[in-house]
Amino acid sequence: MIRLFATYQSVFDQILIYSLLAMSQYVVLRAGTFSVGSAAFAAIGGYTTAILSTRSGWHPALAIACGVVLGGVVSAIMAFPLSRLRGVFQAVATMALVQVVVTIALNWEDVTRGALGINGIPKVATTGWLVLIVAFVVALLHVLGRFSIGRAMDVIREDETVAVSLGMSVAHYQRIAMILSGLLAGLAGGLQACNSYTIKPEDFGFTLLVNGLAMAVLGGRTSVWGALVGAAVLTTLPELFRVFADYRNVVQGALLMVIIIYLPNGIADTLFGLAHDRRVRRLVTGLEPRAAAVSDSGAGSEVTR
Amino acid sequence: MLTQQLLNGLVVGSAYAVFALGFTLLFGVNHVLNMAHGSVFMWGAFAGLYVVQAFDTSFAVALLVGMVAGGVLSVLLDFAAFRPLRRRQAADFATILTSIGANLVLLAVAQKVSNTTVMRFPFEFFPIVMYEFMGLRIQLLQITIVFTGVLMVTALVYALYRTGFGRRIRSVAFSGNTSRLLGINAELVNAEVFFVSGALAGLAGVLIGVAFNSVHYLMGEPLLMQAFVIIILGGLGSIPGALLGGLLVGVVQSLAYAYISSTAADAIAFAILFFIILIRPTGIFGQASAVMRVQRR
Repeated sequence: MIRLFATYQSVFDQILIYSLLAMSQYVVLRAGTFSVGSAAFAAIGGYTTAILSTRSGWHPALAIACGVVLGGVVSAIMAFPLSRLRGVFQAVATMALVQVVVTIALNWEDVTRGALGINGIPKVATTGWLVLIVAFVVALLHVLGRFSIGRAMDVIREDETVAVSLGMSVAHYQRIAMILSGLLAGLAGGLQACNSYTIKPEDFGFTLLVNGLAMAVLGGRTSVWGALVGAAVLTTLPELFRVFADYRNVVQGALLMVIIIYLPNGIADTLFGLAHDRRVRRLVTGLEPRAAAVSDSGAGSEVTR
Repeated sequence: MLTQQLLNGLVVGSAYAVFALGFTLLFGVNHVLNMAHGSVFMWGAFAGLYVVQAFDTSFAVALLVGMVAGGVLSVLLDFAAFRPLRRRQAADFATILTSIGANLVLLAVAQKVSNTTVMRFPFEFFPIVMYEFMGLRIQLLQITIVFTGVLMVTALVYALYRTGFGRRIRSVAFSGNTSRLLGINAELVNAEVFFVSGALAGLAGVLIGVAFNSVHYLMGEPLLMQAFVIIILGGLGSIPGALLGGLLVGVVQSLAYAYISSTAADAIAFAILFFIILIRPTGIFGQASAVMRVQRR
């Protein structure tokens, strides 16, 4: 068991880091915002961490913290104009942002060393720390999701008109979601840099954008568990099918299409929905004798609500 | 030198415009951003190249084959990725995701088929004829590209605004349900629009493949990004916007290539895109009705 774990430790680390990225995507999707800028904020976090810890000799933890803050600041600056736009346009604008950030990373050679990337980053993000950090973030997001802010985001995602008629400021909640997403993506990028010794511009391009999006959607967009499930599935799948390495993208693309078309709520959310239905059904059948004695319709329908 | 670069930019820009026209037509009628449109373009170029390699056909036949291949592939995409979602009236973002998935599949298959190599048209496939005109040099190929672009745009505008076919398309673009009530087969119109847009992409694929004499599986990706810039600049769903945007992006790009650097060209394009979206998201030709779809107050 321990040997097996040692073999797959790097995969496990990768799942944890990707799950942070998927959570950064999940936060915005939950609030009905179609921002796909996570890859850009991850690049900002990763490069900040790498530059501060190698060239300026900062302590890696401090460098990561700085990367997280910078990711949050940039996403906050972006959030104001973006929250004025609707879905598709948010997506296109953030896609352009990702391209701009990657192009800067490629060409600002004095600072980022261009296509060579930055090497020799101290490996401080060990598995233990990653587990701790991911557990903390999951707990935080889970709790936030249960507060009024999570419910407000759910309403905005399901129907903006209803949200506005209930007196919610759609732009306000979307901005909060975007800033949170920027912080999380910055964290993912910083940890990625401190886990793999090296970062390159192509680590953060369109591929990362698609991966993060696919994970969040595959897992499910309404609970934080979806991001974990999506990251686990999409990171292990290529490892399991090493034989089909050439067809990795075919499998991933086809999977994405099938999931969106036939399982629009994602894996985790669909499972939660089934479990919830079963619980309700059991409750209803348990109540049935009493319900039948009291009245024929009222009690049953109230329970299913 | 400057005018020469301007000319080159206009030539490339007219090929871009042909590609962007199909892209913007899809958005205008079906309200989808087809992220696999770049792959349709690439497969059009592949089809043209393979038919030339296998049967040693002429340029016109290659163009035609590229168009048909692009059109058919685009209709297949509609069936596989967009139609199931349209039936469910899913959110915008679901269609973007399925087309990203379809794009991954198409790219991977093309990589496998082409063995990740850069393929070329046979030597002197298109005769190299140079004309000198007031100190400007222009090739016959460049003239052909501009001519084809102008022809396609004219044909499309004529079809859209002067024929029954175009009237059906415009009514479906206005409202699918209303046109269904009026007895228009909206699904058929959607399939036709996908065919037309795919055919334009395939045509642009063969044109650009011959112009740069290089066909490879990643050729569609940068073009899709250019098309984003073009249609946002011109206004989403606007046909004159796509035309003007295409020419503008072509010119800006070749000037940047000539005077700054090749990487700066991309960065400038994306910076333009980014600021246009933030400042005037409806683009140059965006109408008042588009504002509702774009912005929230």
